[in-house]
Amino acid sequence: MQTNERGVNDVGGLPGGPVNREEHPETLFEKRVDALVMLLTHPQIGAFKVDALRRAVEMNSPGDYTTLGYYPKWIRAIRRLLVEQSVLSDAEIDARIGKLRERLAKDV
Amino acid sequence: MSEAPFRYSPGDVVRVRTGPPEPHCRTPFYLRGQIGVIAGIAGRYRDPSLMAFHKPGLPERALYRVEFRHHDIWQTEAGPDRIMADLYEHWLDPATRETPDAP
Repeated sequence: MQTNERGVNDVGGLPGGPVNREEHPETLFEKRVDALVMLLTHPQIGAFKVDALRRAVEMNSPGDYTTLGYYPKWIRAIRRLLVEQSVLSDAEIDARIGKLRERLAKDV
Repeated sequence: MSEAPFRYSPGDVVRVRTGPPEPHCRTPFYLRGQIGVIAGIAGRYRDPSLMAFHKPGLPERALYRVEFRHHDIWQTEAGPDRIMADLYEHWLDPATRETPDAP
C-alpha cells in the first residue's frame, strides 16, 4: 500500500531526460492488445473498467514500469484483471500459453 | 437522494491535502500541499479510486478544475504560466493566498 509516497506512474516534476517523439507503425501485437482492452471494457462485456486497467498497470514494480513498453504493460494488466474477476484462471492461461508455444516450436 | 452542494465555487483559494493517497490515487504527487484557485466545477463523477477495484464508485464525488501558478510549484521566476488540474473535493481544504497574482 502507498503511504504519502508517489506511485511508480506519478513522475510529474521528476527529471526524465529528453522525450523520444519518434512515431513507429503499430505492430500486430499492439493492435491486438488495444482491441482486447476495447472489447473487455465495452459496456456489454464489462470485464473491468479502464480505472482498473490503470491500477493494474501501476502495480508494476518501478523497474518493470520504466522498462516495459506501453502494450506489454497492458497485456500484463489484462491478465491480472481477468484472473481477479474470475474470467480465466492462471492455470488456464498458462496451459494455453504452453499449447501455443508447442505449436510455434513445430511450425519453426 | 439529493446531492450535497458543491463546497467550492470558482475563485475560492484551496490547498491540496498532502495525503493519505488512496490505493489508486489520481491526485498528482507534485500538487500535494500546494495552493491553487478553483477555476471551474467539472461535475460529479464516480470515484476512480473505487472503480479501480471493480466497485461501482458511488456516491459520485465533486470534481473541480484547479489552477496553480507555475512558479509556486516549480520555484521558477514569477510569470503568467498556470497549471490546470482536475482534483476531487475530498483532496481540497479552504486556504488563503499570501502573494497576489503576478500581472
